Amino acid sequence: MNPSPEGRPEETDMELINRWRAGDGRAATRLVGRHSQALARFAASAGERDGIEELVQDTFVRAFASLDSFRGASTLRTWLFTIERRLMLDRRRAERRSRETVPVEESDHVSEYGALDGLIAEEAQERVRKSLDALSPTQREVFTLRVQQGLSYREIAEVVGSTEGAARVHYHNALKTVKEFLKDE
Amino acid sequence: MNKCTESDIQEMLPDLLHRALAAGERQRVEAHLATCESCQEDLEVLRTVKSAAVFAPAIDVDSVVRQIPPYRTIVPATERPARTRVVSWLVAASLAVVVLGGGSILLQSNGPLTSRARGQQPALSIAKVPDATKPSLAESVARSRTIVQPTIAPHPHALALAADADGLSDGSLVQLMNDMDGFDALPGSEPDPVISVDSGDSL
Repeated sequence: MNPSPEGRPEETDMELINRWRAGDGRAATRLVGRHSQALARFAASAGERDGIEELVQDTFVRAFASLDSFRGASTLRTWLFTIERRLMLDRRRAERRSRETVPVEESDHVSEYGALDGLIAEEAQERVRKSLDALSPTQREVFTLRVQQGLSYREIAEVVGSTEGAARVHYHNALKTVKEFLKDE
Repeated sequence: MNKCTESDIQEMLPDLLHRALAAGERQRVEAHLATCESCQEDLEVLRTVKSAAVFAPAIDVDSVVRQIPPYRTIVPATERPARTRVVSWLVAASLAVVVLGGGSILLQSNGPLTSRARGQQPALSIAKVPDATKPSLAESVARSRTIVQPTIAPHPHALALAADADGLSDGSLVQLMNDMDGFDALPGSEPDPVISVDSGDSL
């Protein structure tokens, strides 16, 4: 348990959840503050550009509404990523229907990710973005969850609805692709 | 550059970046990194990707929290039958109203039969048989000598049909049977044994 800025031991997510269930609204504030930026980064990494704040908000509203189904088998952050990912998929399906375009597969994620032009300023970031563009959507999800969020393979498998073995394979393939891309640049 | 064969070390490189390794593991990985160029290169790539995380807007925590509904305790499963009981009582009450109302309508529609059954020039009437438990001695003697046909000995509280029921409709018969169910005693379906006395021995 990490110490808080005040020197007290940092409360675990489950302790904060129990406090919120007992009626302590500040516990919800602590939980949202602890995980909201990670959710925003994950959404951005996955190619979301517009409405990331709304997406994060919807994730928390849905999570708190069904918090009784969270048993603590995984970390709260992993569970939140899972909810957010489903919301992103729902949103993309809705956008696809509204555009009345053909079903979009792998290239859809790439094109959405490409919409992040202008948001990434530095050259290094641009190179990384391009290298991630070269990945399949699943590879990119697994790779960013592992490298940028620090999730374990078991947690990644839970988020993306896959297996640990598959997540490991995706990670290594992604690392190889990114490495070659950055070397060639 | 030789390819690294320490796959477990390679797996731990992202965890090293996130400081998620235990002290012993971290020392082991760092010792390996000191001699492995392949892993050094991998770690550099991972560090670049991690530091180049795409732009994400800052989230207003308070505005998110305001949207979160207060926690509502889920009703335990053991308390659910109470709600079911109320519904059951409502259903039972509704059925009772329907049955009673329907019965009243049926009685109204069968009014003439009802009135007949209750004594107004009945085509079929039910009358109490006179109490025969204590006949006088003279009556007993006279009856014992005149009975030649088998008869049904009347039960003290028995009833007798005063007319035949051939002319009744099915509905009227049902009504009659229902009325009969309400009486204290009904004649047995089997006749009581007939005692035929030829002499005064039985007396």
